[in-house]
Amino acid sequence: MTAIAAERYTGASIKRSEDPRILTGAGRYVDDIKLPGMLHAAFVRSPMAHARVLSVDASAARDLPGVVAVYTGAELEAITVPGPDALMALMGWQGPTPEFTLLATDKVRFAGDPVAVVIAESRYLAEDGCELVAVEYEDLPPVVNAAFALDPASPPVFENLGDNIARTHSRNEFGDVAATFAGADRVFDTHIDVHRHQNVPMEGRGCVASYDADSGAMTVYAATQSVHVSKIAVAMRLGMEHDKVRALAGDIGGSFGLKIGASREELAVAAASRQLGRPVKWVEDRGENLTTSGQAREESFDVRAAVSNDGDLLGLDVQMVIDTGAYPGMGAMVPDIVQAMFPGPYKMAALGFESTGAITNKACYVAYRGPWASETFVRERVIDLIAKDLGIDPLEIRLRNAAPRTDPPAVMVTGRPLVGVTTQESLQRIAQLVDFPAFRRRQTEARERGVYLGIGVATFIEAAPGPREPGGPSGPMGLENMRLRLEEDGIVVLFTGQMPHGQSHQTTLAQIAADEFGVPFEQVRVVVGDSDVVPFGLTGGSRSATMTGGVALHGARQLKAKVIDVASHLMEASAQDLEITDGQVFVRGDPASGIGVGEVARRAASGEFGADVDANLEIVAQFDGGEGGWSGGTHCAIVEVDTETGIVKVERYVVAEDCGALINPAVVEGQIRGGVAQGIGAVLLERSAYDEDGNCQSATFMDYLLPTACDVPRIEIEHLETVPLDADVNFRGVGEGGMIVAPPTIVNAIEDALSPFGVRIREQHLPPARILELIAEADPAQ
Amino acid sequence: MTEVDITLTVNGATRTGSPEARKTLADFLRDDLSLTGTHLGCEHGVCGACTVIVDGRAVRSCLMLAVQAAGSEVTTIEGLGPDGEMGPLQQAMWDSHSFQCGFCTPGMVVQAAAFLSDHPDADEQQIREALSGNICRCTGYQSIIDGVLLAAERSREGSARETA
Repeated sequence: MTAIAAERYTGASIKRSEDPRILTGAGRYVDDIKLPGMLHAAFVRSPMAHARVLSVDASAARDLPGVVAVYTGAELEAITVPGPDALMALMGWQGPTPEFTLLATDKVRFAGDPVAVVIAESRYLAEDGCELVAVEYEDLPPVVNAAFALDPASPPVFENLGDNIARTHSRNEFGDVAATFAGADRVFDTHIDVHRHQNVPMEGRGCVASYDADSGAMTVYAATQSVHVSKIAVAMRLGMEHDKVRALAGDIGGSFGLKIGASREELAVAAASRQLGRPVKWVEDRGENLTTSGQAREESFDVRAAVSNDGDLLGLDVQMVIDTGAYPGMGAMVPDIVQAMFPGPYKMAALGFESTGAITNKACYVAYRGPWASETFVRERVIDLIAKDLGIDPLEIRLRNAAPRTDPPAVMVTGRPLVGVTTQESLQRIAQLVDFPAFRRRQTEARERGVYLGIGVATFIEAAPGPREPGGPSGPMGLENMRLRLEEDGIVVLFTGQMPHGQSHQTTLAQIAADEFGVPFEQVRVVVGDSDVVPFGLTGGSRSATMTGGVALHGARQLKAKVIDVASHLMEASAQDLEITDGQVFVRGDPASGIGVGEVARRAASGEFGADVDANLEIVAQFDGGEGGWSGGTHCAIVEVDTETGIVKVERYVVAEDCGALINPAVVEGQIRGGVAQGIGAVLLERSAYDEDGNCQSATFMDYLLPTACDVPRIEIEHLETVPLDADVNFRGVGEGGMIVAPPTIVNAIEDALSPFGVRIREQHLPPARILELIAEADPAQ
Repeated sequence: MTEVDITLTVNGATRTGSPEARKTLADFLRDDLSLTGTHLGCEHGVCGACTVIVDGRAVRSCLMLAVQAAGSEVTTIEGLGPDGEMGPLQQAMWDSHSFQCGFCTPGMVVQAAAFLSDHPDADEQQIREALSGNICRCTGYQSIIDGVLLAAERSREGSARETA
């Protein structure tokens, strides 16, 4: 590889070090792992949404040549330890806690619920075995929606709870809600739905578990966002000491929140491997991915908005119901974040927020890129509905209500200071980038020809990491650790608990460390994916830019100080006079004095220094997020709606985004574009659909439609880097923002296009058939 | 299960094997020949991650049986560049930051290579249409399209230089 010439790597679109392997087919994903004696698992899954399991007969499967073992739910329970969902336990969930087993025993709770696992010499044979497992079911009434789940007459999905309440109803008030509504000129009342859709990484879930009976050690090759969460979950459910479990991960084919720790299937596979003393692989197929891996977002909101006749949004009162699906996932926890984020960047003085979670017979609710994103969708939708009723321009109403930057900063009514938030700036930038008056003229002309164009804007903020709050013990997002070491060949090695699955950490963290330490980019190596060597960590919540970028910067600085200290003894110079440039330690102003950092490391390891010199060139660094800060921005879409076919074409998409200082602009832009594409898919194509019996109707890519290269337009991106808050670390997270704000941007544009028909949109999923219905149902007088 | 002896050419080398009659070409390449660059994203012919070139045409190796490829010439992602190194298309995609997680990458690159060899002068819309059967969940496609356009442009410049 040729050396990369750059003044500073940080801030430049350095080519990714991940690419040479992934572009040549040399990436190593979990399905590429092949171990001696490896067996293959396939799951017998319930065809019913809700049923008692009367009997499971696996005898015919066990007799099939090539089948090594079959475990039913009860048999798997006998070789594992009962316990709560690992993720909920790690997150300290205190609410209703369903009791369940890894494989269904007494009953099945959604179509696709695993009932037995067949282990065979090949995946083909394992699937043959599944066909031979006979399960007898007795139907129970399916609980297919939140309304029925919350009806006391619905049969409890989990008997130990006695009802289908995943999250007990609660109400919180911020500011004086009653007085705000009493003093308002108008109160708007509306109901908004967000539909169920899902992550759909191109690689599904999977693992290879390999138990070594001699050492009593388990190695799990995982596709995970955290090797440590995978390790802990396996140790807990298998009753193993933590040091006997090692989780490894290589390349991961996307996740978007899906692959957090070990799933029920992965735990079952690990238990089977221990029982059989052989490695066992399970990689889900696409049908399993779409029907069983998890789904997100099915939420409904009753919203009241207090407004003035001038368009001031004074307060909101919101009732949220979330459909958490069957097994515990993220669903019960999401409303807390939705509540905290509901005011967004706006000045509103009051928020009332009620929430309830319902357990239904569907696949479980999982985190999906901005899990709380419905707050942005609902707020940005409601603001447009208000603007329309008051006859105010959508940009204008946002500029009017968004908190300007002041000192001290405005504070969200839910508590967090809006320090450094540049909503006003991003709205104004959009107004410069998109000629709104010219668009309105074109829109009018087009309508005369029967062509319906629309423009939509939406704005958002994301706590990535969020502002530092006074008295917070550990910064805005907890602590991030990193181990750093200078090797004797001069390579600076970073060990991080981040588990990249497309985020390019092996490039971006190396950029930061190379600059700070003073070595070429190629001389930094980023080690991920081995729970024995990397510190605890998790890739998610858009945390890595600030938290891991920050610990890489501070860690490289600390390691450099140690190297300079050792070098000062070698070079008989004062540490203050030494600097490291291009991998060489120099006495400042003396280019002939340089010695390589590898030479310093070799001498440090030689034992020649006494106890007064700290010659251990390895450190563990910790970062608390520094001053933190917000990510955010405004998006704008121009769409054309074909009112004959209902097809929506996105003609132009413009982003004005502020994620602070950019580490690698090409990587940042990739994250934004990818998120916007998922948002476009969510509105125009994607839906995890169930019929009235609880059968998943979107089990293939012919039914669950993803955006293609013809559906996603060029996305224009403008970066604002307005407000540095921290002395060193002003990188902010950008992974989720596109997906958070694209859905309201697109829906707002569609409603604008259809305004001649009087269409008002109170939902997120707008496939062609629904567009035509909206036009037919609308009242043109509106 | 019936096993069938087959001989085929993969990435320029003669390979033999005895796959079960029901084994897909994708599984044969991955399991029997250890060519794990070809990925399986849906196993029902929609996502395109498993795309390989068989006798000059891009095909979904999840929809083709290994036995159907007997006697054929197959090129996978591993055979696209010289000795497993990057060829010009891969280089252009690296330069364009085309990919993120890399899972759709082999199929996308193979599809683009097959298309460009037949349509060296393709414009953006034609490239988008040609790649619309390959799903990428990470990128929003723009960087991929840019990579293919860059490769096409470089190839035209290269031919122009040779002609001059």
